[in-house]
Amino acid sequence: MELFRQTNIDFLRYKWIAIGASWLLIAIGLFAIFVQKGLKFGIDFAGGTQIAVRFAERPDLDRLRDVLKSANLGDTGIQRYGEPERNQVLIRVQQQKTEGRDVSHDVQNALRAGLLPGGGDPAKIDLNRDGKDVFAARLAAADPDATAGRPDVVAPQHYATIADQILSYRAEAGIFGSTADLDKVPGVSVAVRNWLKANSYPGPFVLLSAENVGPQVGADLRKKALYAVVWSIVGMLIYIAIRFRSLPFGVGAVVALIHDTLITVGLLALFGREFNLVVVAALLTLIGYSVNDTVVVYDRVRENQRTPKKEALESVINRSINQTLSRTILTAGATMLVCLALFFLGGEVLNTFALTLIIGILIGTYSSIYVAAAIVVIWKDLRSRRKLQVVPAAKPAAPPPPAAAKKKKSGRR
Amino acid sequence: MSKRLRWRLFLIFLVVVGMVAGYVAMGYSNARREWIGPGKPPLREALKKGIKLGLDLRGGIHLVLQVNTIDAVKAERDDAAEQLQTQAREQGITIGPVEFPGDHSFTVAVTPQTDERKLDESAKRFLPDWNATTAGGKWVFTLKDLSRRTIEDNAVAQAVETIRNRIDEFGVAEPLIARQGTDRILVQLPGIDDPKRVKDLIKNTAFLELKLVQGGPTSDRTALLAPHGGQVPANMEIVEGAVVAGQREQVYYLVLKSAVITGRDLKNARPTQRQLGGNAVSFFLNAAGAEKFAAATGANVGKQLAIILDKRVKSSPTINEQIHDQGEITGSFTPEEANDLALVLRAGALPAGLTYLEERTVGPSLGLDSIKKGITASVTGALFVFVAVVLYYRLSGLNAVLALILNAIMLLGAMALFNATLTLPGIAGFILTIGMAVDSNVLIFERIREELRAGRAPKTAIDNGFSKAFATIIDTHLTVIISAIFLFQFGTGPVKGFAVTLILGLLISVFTAVFVSHTIFELMYGRRQHIDALSI
Repeated sequence: MELFRQTNIDFLRYKWIAIGASWLLIAIGLFAIFVQKGLKFGIDFAGGTQIAVRFAERPDLDRLRDVLKSANLGDTGIQRYGEPERNQVLIRVQQQKTEGRDVSHDVQNALRAGLLPGGGDPAKIDLNRDGKDVFAARLAAADPDATAGRPDVVAPQHYATIADQILSYRAEAGIFGSTADLDKVPGVSVAVRNWLKANSYPGPFVLLSAENVGPQVGADLRKKALYAVVWSIVGMLIYIAIRFRSLPFGVGAVVALIHDTLITVGLLALFGREFNLVVVAALLTLIGYSVNDTVVVYDRVRENQRTPKKEALESVINRSINQTLSRTILTAGATMLVCLALFFLGGEVLNTFALTLIIGILIGTYSSIYVAAAIVVIWKDLRSRRKLQVVPAAKPAAPPPPAAAKKKKSGRR
Repeated sequence: MSKRLRWRLFLIFLVVVGMVAGYVAMGYSNARREWIGPGKPPLREALKKGIKLGLDLRGGIHLVLQVNTIDAVKAERDDAAEQLQTQAREQGITIGPVEFPGDHSFTVAVTPQTDERKLDESAKRFLPDWNATTAGGKWVFTLKDLSRRTIEDNAVAQAVETIRNRIDEFGVAEPLIARQGTDRILVQLPGIDDPKRVKDLIKNTAFLELKLVQGGPTSDRTALLAPHGGQVPANMEIVEGAVVAGQREQVYYLVLKSAVITGRDLKNARPTQRQLGGNAVSFFLNAAGAEKFAAATGANVGKQLAIILDKRVKSSPTINEQIHDQGEITGSFTPEEANDLALVLRAGALPAGLTYLEERTVGPSLGLDSIKKGITASVTGALFVFVAVVLYYRLSGLNAVLALILNAIMLLGAMALFNATLTLPGIAGFILTIGMAVDSNVLIFERIREELRAGRAPKTAIDNGFSKAFATIIDTHLTVIISAIFLFQFGTGPVKGFAVTLILGLLISVFTAVFVSHTIFELMYGRRQHIDALSI
């Protein structure tokens, strides 16, 4: 199968339209970042607390809100997330004024106190909170399997294995809805089950994750992320400078790169996506990918320039783009397939990561042709025209503004 | 088969077998550590454990703590002031009241009766870490910078040691406890199923003091001070009682400032069950502590002794008789609380308070869920790519798929051998590598097609295709690897895992896409003298 058999599209003919479109996208992105919603920082960068919990039944968000109000935590956001049948809720608490308050602890305590009348009997096991040691120790103390008289069983090990079974069940099933769920745990004797039913209760929620980032760490990570992005752009600049030893090529690649990054960040802001560490990872990958794509076209341009035949640069670049077109589309397509799989199947964390890459690959592929290659053409055009103007030296040799260049360009065509 | 081809096949075989063997060996060694059953763990278990899982997949807790070193400095300041006062008393130097204007300075007022020469002598002798200056009828003692830094440094080192002791006693597999920068500590504990308890365990200062009660308990502070003319006497202090569930009012105790014994005098501590029901912690004193304790309890029979934990009175039993080397802390403890308190008392007190700067906890069920979703997405993505490549390049596409599969296997092996950690973004990196590695094959195949269109013979087309695409392949790999290196530099935990996976995957893909693919082509077409057409 071949999709692009020796195409001969005059890509660069539309370069000014494309540059206009690029500016439009950048403007939309900047608008989204600075005017509309602003860049939504996740707690990695903004600091604050984010807690994900799972309930046995569909939780009443208003009630949760009331319960959390009593904890005096300032602004809290509560939303459902994930598959609806999982009854998962994400609680976000803004950065506290003083460093060091253990907010995730306070939120969990407030939830327990509000949802569990009396806060739960400390003498009983909380099926949804307590860890393996608690199960093992309490079971060993009560010894429902009457291991004391049996020489073949070592009690601590016996009950540790049972505790393991219970906790694997909890991890697998997600939550204990009631003590009756204990019947579903494999490898547990009736005696143990009955003892547990009498001496445990299902706590109101299971903690899925808790993240708490203080203001210092948040500021630190913001700085580090910015440095990482800037330095990898500088790294690319140096690489291209060494590899191609040509200013227009280098400028073209780096402008394309900044273009891709800017538009991707802008579109993420437009879609209201949260900006966190994983998104920065995707952005850095994208920086590599964007240059990668550009370099393939550039490599071909240089190879084609080496032939002795005299040919206009624009036509050489056009030819090179056409020659690499099927590779460009195919590689972007393959990477895109992977990203789509991650987007739809990868779960919450990877969703925004995949979206970042999807946008980035689309923009990056386009920019290799319409930004990186177009800049080289425009640069060389301007240079040759300036030379022509400088030689007569009649007029002051100011570089022609792009608008003038555009007019001349279309006139010549 | 030519000799060169045979060598190539042998090399590929060697590398792949090496990687697979490495993976399995690492898997066995990891599985054995956790294996509680008899004999060696089964292969299935070993295959699961080849690569270390990150906290985000395995579940666990990641903490960055700050040591409030100022606590240690203040404690040193209080000690120094105390010592100066004691010396003054012993040598009969009259001095005015002591004040604490700053965290690392204190002032001593001088009166006309003060023998300043003797005071100076005593300060030089007993407070070598302090600079003394005079200002406005006061002596100002300031902690020397170097001494302060030593105190802070020791506090952090001691905190790391204490936390390590506690974690070790609690029993966590593969904990990471490391100092970060000047005053931070990084704690990573995989596989924790009860994060709250571990956090409490780490943060508990566990500073135990036993002091003689001079008044109270009462909820009325002024009543406490009435016998002393409404002022806290110089050698006493007021301590709050611990808040107990069900109790309505906050109570206060007036106690002697200097402790009879502190946590440092402990030899051992263990949880006990009281006869009346309820849990307690028994402690046992070392020889020096026992001597002090026996003297104090012997002289104060009938009085109350306050057991103070982290500046709050836990209980205040009456001394019935002289006690030598043991005591009991009671309160409303659950069995786990009693157990944990005994643990932290054994492991020692923290020299300073801790602040949580960063916490990331992932519960086991979320980790499990992430693994499932990550794998589903990866397998689906890979299948998509495989189908697309085979549809597009036919037999040559199959060649590429083979190379990609080898790439995946070798990547797993390399990650195991480098002891790299697989994280959720790492899984994404793994599959992204497959998407990007296919790029090399595409570059080569497109070149071959071009060569064929230009009328070259199939064999020449293959060789030209590979050699012409090579420079570009190196270029494309280098660009992504450069940005992945910056990512590694910047990244924390999960993101670092992503960078490592990406870098390894891309390095391997140079080998598989160029060397392995070319070899497969040679296997397919090399023997035949004449090829009419390539399936590409």
